[in-house]
Amino acid sequence: MSDVDTRPGAILKNNLWTSNPIFMQVLGICSALAVTNLLTNTAIMTIGVTLVTGFSSMTVSLLKGFMPRKVRMMVQTLIIAFYVIIVDIALKAYLPEISRNLGPYVGLIITNCIIMGRAEAFAQSNGPVISFWDGVTSGLGYMGVLMLIAFVRELLGFGTLFGFQILPESFIPWTIMVVPPSAFFLLGFVIWAGKSAMNRKGAPA
Amino acid sequence: MNKQSTLYTIVFIFIVSFSFVFLLSMTNQVTIERVELNQIIARQRAVLASMGVDVSDPGRIQEEFDRVFADENAGLFARRGDDRVIYAMEFVGAGLWGPIAGFIAVADDFDTMVGIEFVDDNETPGLGGRINEPWFKEQFQGLNISNGRITVSVMEPADPSAGRVDGVTGATRTSDAIEAIVNAKLSAFRSEETREQFRDLLESGGDA
Repeated sequence: MSDVDTRPGAILKNNLWTSNPIFMQVLGICSALAVTNLLTNTAIMTIGVTLVTGFSSMTVSLLKGFMPRKVRMMVQTLIIAFYVIIVDIALKAYLPEISRNLGPYVGLIITNCIIMGRAEAFAQSNGPVISFWDGVTSGLGYMGVLMLIAFVRELLGFGTLFGFQILPESFIPWTIMVVPPSAFFLLGFVIWAGKSAMNRKGAPA
Repeated sequence: MNKQSTLYTIVFIFIVSFSFVFLLSMTNQVTIERVELNQIIARQRAVLASMGVDVSDPGRIQEEFDRVFADENAGLFARRGDDRVIYAMEFVGAGLWGPIAGFIAVADDFDTMVGIEFVDDNETPGLGGRINEPWFKEQFQGLNISNGRITVSVMEPADPSAGRVDGVTGATRTSDAIEAIVNAKLSAFRSEETREQFRDLLESGGDA
């Protein structure tokens, strides 16, 4: 991983666009399907993922000098689980309604491949501050795509945005947008559009 | 010191696990009261909502609930309204994917339903999950239940005087489940034993 550009600006561009975790690396897809039918839930969920990715990358980076290689992954999972449980407790205490809506998906942030991916690929070999930045920007790249999908799904599935009625009452909601398979179609479009845009610029796809 | 040795690994894992779990337990201790309070309020809100009380202001829920006589063990609740007493009962029944839980409220003549509120369900989002939408729940307000049962109908139009409400299109099995769950509770409401419990609850009144 020595050839990775570790300047903050380059990391930002990389994580938001050229190697976006969702549409370039195709990671974290399960939650992209499960929690994207309402913008509010998606926003809270992706903020949670962003914070967990940032802080666990930072912690992995801080502990990397003390970590025996053979238990590296175990310790990473432990760190990630720690932050996810903190997020879960915070939601239960301060946003009970959203915690109820998200149900088991908060706990399942632990299994989001993006977090461990960043811990392994970046935090293991870089300093804590830049690892935190790398984790946060990866989370933002994930958030961008999920919010886009949630925007389309909530608008067409319920006729609302963030719970506010946008489309007229006469609009007939598309039930398909509410159920998970629609996210597959939208995700396909996002990957298609993203890669096409990149190819046009001549970047390696 | 050899960082790859078994002893170092064990000690390292022990220290790391201990510190993280310690921090977690502390966070949990700090917030536990708040979490429990949230759960109690969510439950009280659902009981009041089934009784047709306005629960849009979260700050007033506990105050309103103080006027409810509750037997938490039996899941029975009673509240003196302006002109009548309203009885509510907790229910859990089989839905399509998992249990559906909530509260059903009837007026003291046991012939009129006051309302229904769901607290937990695993129905398909956008299909069976629409039982949580206001239009579905509002159908139960003032529903005639003098013949002891309701119908959640997918085919026939709704008719409140005959105890018939509209089902959810595309969620026939959820609609059937709601019908079965509500009817089971309505027959419980009609049993002399339950009515006795409700009368005792109102008379005791001590814990309300």
